[in-house]
Amino acid sequence: MSFHVVKREACPLWKKACFYLLAVLAALTLGGLLLLAMGVNPLAYYSRMFTMGMVGNKIAYKAFENYLKVFVPLALTSVALSLAFKMRFWNIGGEGQFIMGAIAAATVALKLGSSLPNAVTLILMCLAAMLAAGLYGVFVAALKVKFGTNETLMTLMLNYVALYILAFLGDRKADWNFFLQAESVRPVFQSFADVAAFPKIMLGKFGLNLCVLLTFAVGAVIFVYLKYTKQGYEISVVGDSAGTAHYAGMKVNTIVLRTVFLSACLIGLAAAFKVGTAGVLSTAITDDVGWTGIIVAWLSQLNTAVIFVVSALISMLHYGSVAAAASFSRVDSSFANMLQGVILFLVLTADFFIRFRIVRTQKGGKDNGNG
Amino acid sequence: MEMDKLGVITTFIHNIVVYNIPLLYGTVGEIVVEKSGSLNLGVEGIMAVGAIFGYIVGCYTNSMLIGILTAFGMGALMGLLFAALTVSLQANQNITGLTLTTFGLGVYFFVGNAIKAVAWPAMSNYSSIKEGFSDIAIPGLSRIPVLGHGLFNHNMLVYLGIVIALIMWYYLNRTSPGLRLRAVGENPGSADSVGINVKRIKYLYIMLGCGIMGIGGFYMGLNMSGSFSSACWINGYGWIAVALVIFANWNPAMAILGTFVFGFFNTLRVSGSSLAVAFPGALGWLAAVPTQLYQALPFIITAIVLVASSVRKREGSGLPASLGLNYFREER
Repeated sequence: MSFHVVKREACPLWKKACFYLLAVLAALTLGGLLLLAMGVNPLAYYSRMFTMGMVGNKIAYKAFENYLKVFVPLALTSVALSLAFKMRFWNIGGEGQFIMGAIAAATVALKLGSSLPNAVTLILMCLAAMLAAGLYGVFVAALKVKFGTNETLMTLMLNYVALYILAFLGDRKADWNFFLQAESVRPVFQSFADVAAFPKIMLGKFGLNLCVLLTFAVGAVIFVYLKYTKQGYEISVVGDSAGTAHYAGMKVNTIVLRTVFLSACLIGLAAAFKVGTAGVLSTAITDDVGWTGIIVAWLSQLNTAVIFVVSALISMLHYGSVAAAASFSRVDSSFANMLQGVILFLVLTADFFIRFRIVRTQKGGKDNGNG
Repeated sequence: MEMDKLGVITTFIHNIVVYNIPLLYGTVGEIVVEKSGSLNLGVEGIMAVGAIFGYIVGCYTNSMLIGILTAFGMGALMGLLFAALTVSLQANQNITGLTLTTFGLGVYFFVGNAIKAVAWPAMSNYSSIKEGFSDIAIPGLSRIPVLGHGLFNHNMLVYLGIVIALIMWYYLNRTSPGLRLRAVGENPGSADSVGINVKRIKYLYIMLGCGIMGIGGFYMGLNMSGSFSSACWINGYGWIAVALVIFANWNPAMAILGTFVFGFFNTLRVSGSSLAVAFPGALGWLAAVPTQLYQALPFIITAIVLVASSVRKREGSGLPASLGLNYFREER
């Protein structure tokens, strides 16, 4: 008896949801078994993790503010990446584009922050970051369109070029280097928190950062853009088959360039939000969102609405594991990375069963049903 | 005084080899994987997993050989995971590879910190590991002035890495199983139609390649004298290896050369200043070069190679034609 694999025609939504839910539960169970083996009560650990240490915490509002600081760049970056991925353009250069955006935003804040009103500075920071990141991204798209350069490897290389530019700026004391504190002997990034910071809307003690609202607004716009506009439709056609798109009279190259530029611009915006909230550059400014965003976009099946849910959960995993490490000293916060990996592996497995069915091959090579 | 200057050069050459051979393991491993048509971006994570298990098991058993085998085995297990997901379950290779990196680094720190909380094995306490990683001079060759100590007086893992690279070069280019492997990477559909078991070949070489990466990770751990801190032993070498595959044009023998080129810049970063001190006239300017430039150079060079080769679309590029594409038989 042998088996072979055939494609499924369609899978109802409820069934899909069940498969994914099962995958996540299985991942949590595996993680739980590991915790159990270490002599830690998994339920206690998970409840600490998913409440992010906020229960019974007097400054829980502060913790929630910090959680949102993790959530905003991740959600926005994931949405941005999903645009390119929908077109099968493998932009894994989120890290590099984010860094370029962050440097541009910090430049505006440091150079103009003290002479302009806060609102103007913030808008200019966003625009500069979007332009810098957008150009860094569209450069690769142009190479891809013109010469067929492999974009996966190219964006990967440019991540490290950007990273070392940032490291250089953070390390080299010089007259021209306005990114560093002039008075400090050791190289320390200059803070601009007092001249350029996104305002908070105070709800009692809890300060809701404007970036959070803007992120949801951008998400809504992108959702509509992809679903109801001609350009959004073009993206999905190019993603299905560039040949078909070309045959239908679409200007494939223009669509690729435009979409990658937009994708990278949004990553730049995420960087501006991050920098405008942190008030200072750092060599770890990306917090790995360029990488994690790829995983989030994929876990969400590139669906804009789902991306917000998944990034909320993944941020919870990361923020919560640090909070939980405080009370469970035996469990390192790297547990979150492991768990995130296992979740994705199992979701990819679930994906397989959604896209394909396993069919028993009868003797004589005939199928036991087809399609 | 003159001898001292030559000594600086010898040390420099010696360091190029010692600090960068892990790149060779990572690169040769990735070449084997990519030649089967799979782009595995999990090198960093695979090396990390090989490193932590190889080191800990190697120390506890006080055996270099068991350390190497464990590192290889754990790397191969990561490869099995990659193969199961991408070959059997048709998952996207980019996503799976990147997740393998996140997962692998997670495992590295999780296991490392857990062991550290109990008792971290110090390399100096394990005689076989310590001696196994000490230099072995090649008789005759190591006596060549200046170059001898630099090139021919190294630990056994250096020699093993070179030997693996040469064997893989021969295997890929001069043997019929190697030809079958390349056929799968070029066009799995045609390979399948002439009776090659595509799935088995992919599983086999993904695991073999990832196992080789694992040994490279083990090397990194030993080279850091096994001191476990907040920075990962692999420290980005996995990503440089991904770049080096392109620089070496998917050729394991070229990977040896590429390792020395990339290693040259890497070593300048660390010992550029000592060269500047020894030769203030000729090389004094080295002290002014920012270290980040050396760190970025491998990626800049690779980016240029990538663009140049796509512009020229030249014959003889080693890039496997179906790299990164999954093979689904029913769609042949």
